[in-house]
Amino acid sequence: MRKTPLQKLLLHFANLVVIGFILLPMSAVVIGSLLAEKSLAGDTRSIIPGEITFDNFRVIISRGEQRGQVFEQATYLPDNVKKIYHALGNSVAISLSVTFLTLVFASLSAYTIVKLNLRWVAWLLSVNVFARFVPIIVLMIPLYVVFRQLGLLNSIWGVIIALTGFLLPYGILILVPYFASIPKELDESARIDGCTRFSAFLRITLPLSTPALASYGAIVFIIAWNDLLIPLILNNRAEFMTLPVVIASLVGDVFVVFNLMMAICLIALTPSVLLVLLLRKFVVEGLTAGGVKG
Amino acid sequence: MSATTTNGRGGHAAPVHRFGRDLPPRLLGFVMNLPTLVVLALVLAYPIYYAGYLSLHKVSLVQLRSGIFPFVGFDNYEKVLTDPLFLLSLGNTMIFTAFVVTVEVVAAVAIAILINQQDVWTSRITRFLILLPYAVPPIANGLIWAFIYNGKTGFLNRLLYSVGAIDRPIDWTANPDTALFAVAVPYIWRTLPFAILLAHAALQGINKELYEAASVDGAGGWHRFIHITLPLLMPVIVVLLVLRTSFAVAVFDEILAITQGGPGDATWVASWYSYKKGFAPPFDIGAGAASAFILALIVAVLALVYVKLLYRRVD
Repeated sequence: MRKTPLQKLLLHFANLVVIGFILLPMSAVVIGSLLAEKSLAGDTRSIIPGEITFDNFRVIISRGEQRGQVFEQATYLPDNVKKIYHALGNSVAISLSVTFLTLVFASLSAYTIVKLNLRWVAWLLSVNVFARFVPIIVLMIPLYVVFRQLGLLNSIWGVIIALTGFLLPYGILILVPYFASIPKELDESARIDGCTRFSAFLRITLPLSTPALASYGAIVFIIAWNDLLIPLILNNRAEFMTLPVVIASLVGDVFVVFNLMMAICLIALTPSVLLVLLLRKFVVEGLTAGGVKG
Repeated sequence: MSATTTNGRGGHAAPVHRFGRDLPPRLLGFVMNLPTLVVLALVLAYPIYYAGYLSLHKVSLVQLRSGIFPFVGFDNYEKVLTDPLFLLSLGNTMIFTAFVVTVEVVAAVAIAILINQQDVWTSRITRFLILLPYAVPPIANGLIWAFIYNGKTGFLNRLLYSVGAIDRPIDWTANPDTALFAVAVPYIWRTLPFAILLAHAALQGINKELYEAASVDGAGGWHRFIHITLPLLMPVIVVLLVLRTSFAVAVFDEILAITQGGPGDATWVASWYSYKKGFAPPFDIGAGAASAFILALIVAVLALVYVKLLYRRVD
C-alpha cells in the first residue's frame, strides 16, 4: 500500500496538528514560568513578552528569601509556597511508599488468584473489577469521617493507606493476566524440587514478572504523584501537603500571579513526565493490560 | 510465613520442606490476601457502607463534634434530588461526559491509525510524545489551562494575536454557554492518551494480510477502514465508551483549577457538588454523601455493563 505524495503530506500535517495540541500546554507552562509579572501584564499580545528570567524558580527554591527583580516589591508570598520542600518531600515519600506497598500487596493477591483454586479468591477478583470503578470523590466524605475517627487525618500515613487501597484493585487486574501467562510447569517443577508455594512465588513468579511489576509500578507512582483529592481532604496542615495540594491552594488566591503558578506546576509535572517518557514501554504495557484484558 | 522463607538462598539444594511444610491452600490463600483484604476493607468496603450510612443521617459540623448522627431516613436524598443546583450539576455532568467521550473515541481511533503509519516519520514523533499528557498532574493541567484561557494575560490569546486571528482579547471561560466545553478540552487533553493507547493496541492486533487481500480486491483506504478496521476495533471502542464514561462523570481537578463551578453555576458538575456540600460551609456532610452515592450508583451501572461486555467477549 504505497502512499501518494499528497497522502503523505496530509499525514505529516495531521501529525503536526496532534503534536501542536500536545505541546500547547507544555509551551504555556514553560514560557509562563520564565516571565515576570510585569512583562505578562505590560504586553498582552506577544507570545514571549519581555525578558526571560529565572526569578520565579529562585523565589520558590529559596523559600521566598531571594526575591530577585521580579518579586522585589512583592510583600506577599503564600506560606504554602515557602513550604515547597515539605511538599516535595511528602510527594516523594507518599508516591514511593504507595508504589512499594501496592506492588507487594497486589502481587501476593494476584498469585493466589492465579495459582490457588479457591472460590472466594476468584470472587475477590470480580470485586476488584468493580472496585476499580469507584470514583475517589464518592468515598471522600466517608473516608474523611472514618480517618478522623481513627486519628489518621493530617498524617502521611493516612494518605499512603488511602491511596494504596484505591490503587490495589488496578494492580491486581494488571498482574493477574501476567502471572497467568507464566507456564505452570515452572512453578510445578520448583515445588517438586522442594519449594513451598510461597517460595515458588518468591523465586519463580516474581522474578519472571519484572516487566509487569515495572509497568504497574510506574503507573502507580504517577497516579500517586498526581493525586489531589485524597491529600487535599485528609490533610490541611502545610507540613503534610503534597505538591498537588499546594498547587490547589493557590487557586483563587488573587495575589498569586500566573508566572509563579506556572513555575510551581512545572516543578510538579517534571518528575512524572520524565518517568513516563523514560519508561514509556512499561507504562504502555501496563495501561493496555489493565484496560483491555482486565 | 517464616517457615516458607527460611530456605534462604540456594534453595535448590535445600532439603524438602525443611521447616514446616506447605501451608494448606486455603490458609495460604488467606494469609497472602490478608494485606489486600485489610486495606480494601478500610479504604473501600467500609467507606462505601459508611457513605450509605451517612447519607441516611443528619451529619454536619455540630454532629461531627458531638459524635451523634440522628437518623433522618431519605431526607438527604429528597433534599438533594429537589435541589435545582444538583439537577443542574447532574445535567452538566451528562453534557460534559457525552462531549468528552464522543470526542475521545473518535480522536483515539483516528490518532491510533495515524501513529500506526510506519512509513511516515512524523508519526514516530507523535508516538513518542503521545503519552506525555497522561503524566501531567490533573491540578497542574487545570492551572496551566487557566493561564492559557485567561482573558487578560492568557496564552491562547497571545497565540491568536500572533497569527492575526483575533484583534481583541477573549476570556475563554467567561461565557456560561461555552465554559463547560472550555473545561472539557483540558480534560480531553489529559485523558486522550489512554484511549489512544487502547485503540492502538487493538489496531496492532489486526492481521495485516486482511488489508493486503482487500487491496488486491481493489478496496480503497476508506473501504478498508469501514469494512476491516472499524469492525475489528468495535470491541475496544465499546470498552472505551464504558471506561471513559465511568471516569469522566467524576471529573473534579480541572473544574477546581479552571472555573470552580463558574461562571455563575455553569460548570457545576456532580463531583463538585458533593465536594462543596461536604467540605464547604455549611458542611452538610449527609447531603454530600447522598449526592455522592447517587453518582456511585450511576458508575456502578456502568461497571456492570463493562463486566457483562468482558464476559461476553471471553465466551
